[in-house]
Amino acid sequence: MTTINDGAGGPRGVGRRALLASVLAAGAVGLAGCARGTQTRPAPGDVVSLFNDNSTWAPGYQAAGAQLKRTAGYTLAARAVPNVSNYQQIVRMSAQTDATADLIKWWNGYRLIDIARAGILADVTDAWDHAAEQGWCDDDELRSTFSYEGRQYGLPLYKSYYAVFYSKPTFRKLGVEVPTTWDEFLHVVAAARAKGITPLGSGGATTWESLIWFQQLVNGLDHGFYQDLTAGKASYTDKVCREAMGLWVDLYKRKAFSSPDFVTSTVPAQFTKGTVAMHLYGTWNTGAFLAAGVKDGDLGAFLLPPPPGGNRSVVVESGVLSVSANAHKLDAAKSVATNWLQPAVQRAWTGFLKDASADPSVVPDVGAVREVAATVAATKPSQAVRYWEASPPVLIEGNVQDLSAFMINPTMTSAVRTLDTMQRRADKEWKVWRS
Amino acid sequence: MEVVTTVQKAAPPATRGGAPTEGRRRGSASRALWIGAFLAPAILLVIVLLAVPFLTTAYRSFFDDNGLSQKWVGLANYAALVSDPDFGRSLLNTVMWVAGTLLLPVLLGLVLAVLTNSVRWGSVARTAVVIPYALSGSATALLWQFLLQSDGAINQTLTAVGLGSWQQEWLLHWPLNTIVMIIATTWQATGASMILFLIGLQTIPNEIVEAAKLDGASGLRMFWSVVIPQLRPMTVVVVGMAIVNSLKTFDIVWLLTQGGPGTASETLALTMYRETFTLNRYGYGAAVSVVLTIVVVAASWLYLRRQARSR
Repeated sequence: MTTINDGAGGPRGVGRRALLASVLAAGAVGLAGCARGTQTRPAPGDVVSLFNDNSTWAPGYQAAGAQLKRTAGYTLAARAVPNVSNYQQIVRMSAQTDATADLIKWWNGYRLIDIARAGILADVTDAWDHAAEQGWCDDDELRSTFSYEGRQYGLPLYKSYYAVFYSKPTFRKLGVEVPTTWDEFLHVVAAARAKGITPLGSGGATTWESLIWFQQLVNGLDHGFYQDLTAGKASYTDKVCREAMGLWVDLYKRKAFSSPDFVTSTVPAQFTKGTVAMHLYGTWNTGAFLAAGVKDGDLGAFLLPPPPGGNRSVVVESGVLSVSANAHKLDAAKSVATNWLQPAVQRAWTGFLKDASADPSVVPDVGAVREVAATVAATKPSQAVRYWEASPPVLIEGNVQDLSAFMINPTMTSAVRTLDTMQRRADKEWKVWRS
Repeated sequence: MEVVTTVQKAAPPATRGGAPTEGRRRGSASRALWIGAFLAPAILLVIVLLAVPFLTTAYRSFFDDNGLSQKWVGLANYAALVSDPDFGRSLLNTVMWVAGTLLLPVLLGLVLAVLTNSVRWGSVARTAVVIPYALSGSATALLWQFLLQSDGAINQTLTAVGLGSWQQEWLLHWPLNTIVMIIATTWQATGASMILFLIGLQTIPNEIVEAAKLDGASGLRMFWSVVIPQLRPMTVVVVGMAIVNSLKTFDIVWLLTQGGPGTASETLALTMYRETFTLNRYGYGAAVSVVLTIVVVAASWLYLRRQARSR
């Protein structure tokens, strides 16, 4: 006891107190330093901050920013959180405060409505009007997927088409041409299988990619039905859905697909090795092929022919460039949005991204994307928003998991059960969404 | 004499007054104050980092909250949880993880510790078992993904040695996917159990072992009747840690299957993550985390209390 008292009152006690005070002071300084992170500070001078979920896109934003500097007077400073879940949390939380970035990358369709109706995004209808007046982009189908209550809350970052990438050397080896009908497509599948080549890489056992063939087949059979289905006006147990699942099961029976735990990042290497012939995916993946060493001349892409009785329609995916309602530089951010679809800006941006622009006159110099863009320009198919963005997010996430489970057991019995579950979820989640 | 002495000790003369008692009281109050002061930082940390977040989470579980707007719904999240078939599967998987990680890493750790404790090349074997423990969860998951994918190393090896018919889609079917992930965790976690059991083995007094030998005990008899009872304190720690770790299982499942296909391999921790961070249903996710916390604390408390009593 005595020892403790002495220690507390003596020089050693003072030392401890001083140490404790120092630690507390250091902690306070540290906390103050963390109070505003580098991601949430206002950007300096003529720089507009852009928050996104892809750190590899920074050079593209820089190139677009250099063009924007000439027209809008601002450059872009991209800040990235590469994990999509974390990114969404940060945007949802920070956009309600003054610790937000000026521009936010998001998703269109219901995912955009989800945050637009919370009031955290600025109205950019004028930017769309300006783009239409200038003839840069006058695409009502696309515009509707950026709208909430008749106003627009984002601009198209890019416009990807869901197309079948294929290896030209493998097609030559198989002696097949790009299919223009469903039967010709089945012929390519059979030819590849006969040579021991996996006809179609198709992952999705544990990823969002399980929706790709579902959306393709439903929309390919009946675009109007797909629109109704995703708007909650039609049922997953309806005939078209069953037919689509039947076609999917049939393709599995023909051994058209890879194992469902196929990893998309391996596609370029598998194309080069000649082990996989085709891959249905968004054209935003074109850059991955070229970066992995697939030669531009060896990579092709075509729109999948509609199944028997179907229609010409293409699934479109478009990232969103939104302006935060609480942006530090609201006017500057709106100015960037107004100039985003300028052809010079789009050329710089899509030249980096190797994907199509919402401005049909801007197409990157990549064979595969040019082939798809040319087909779209020639055939003018109807456009469907990707399933991921086409209905309320919670409904989609659940249904995608059901489709993943179906891919493990692709039988008609399992398909019927899957559709029933999807419809039950739709009944529940549409009620929640509308409440 | 003895009685007198006792009385004198028990009742000091009145003339000495209450001063010593008061002094003792002051002393004990001062001592309590000091003890409190030393305990305060730890208690404060527990309150700030554990109790407050738990209470905040519990409060949040009564709301329908999508991160942008909140609405009081009372116990609706818990009611939805109970009626959700995915939650039942998640609970079942968690129980499988608890059973699996109690059975495999703990047992294997014990057996390997005993087998390698006093043999010549034991240190080599011990090192081999401990190395995986030094790897991070993510590295382990990547390694096992490389092995277990449908076109992964295991299936390719089976084909190469003419056992193609033994190929499996290891991560795509329940319960196989949960079982192989438990095995992957066993590969990594056995080292930790083994180290703890080795420490336990080294604390067994030689006299006890010698006495048992003199009584004729050896081999299995020695193991069951001497080693196991002497290892009891360490077993309490190893099993306790295994229970808590298995209830929290997240990283390896997330990296290998993301809880899929569908929600087939989800554990409670994954369900909590998915509901909160993928579906942005913060209230529902909070309800799952409250249930998970209650299960972990209850399991640990029941187990440790039982062990403390039986000692």
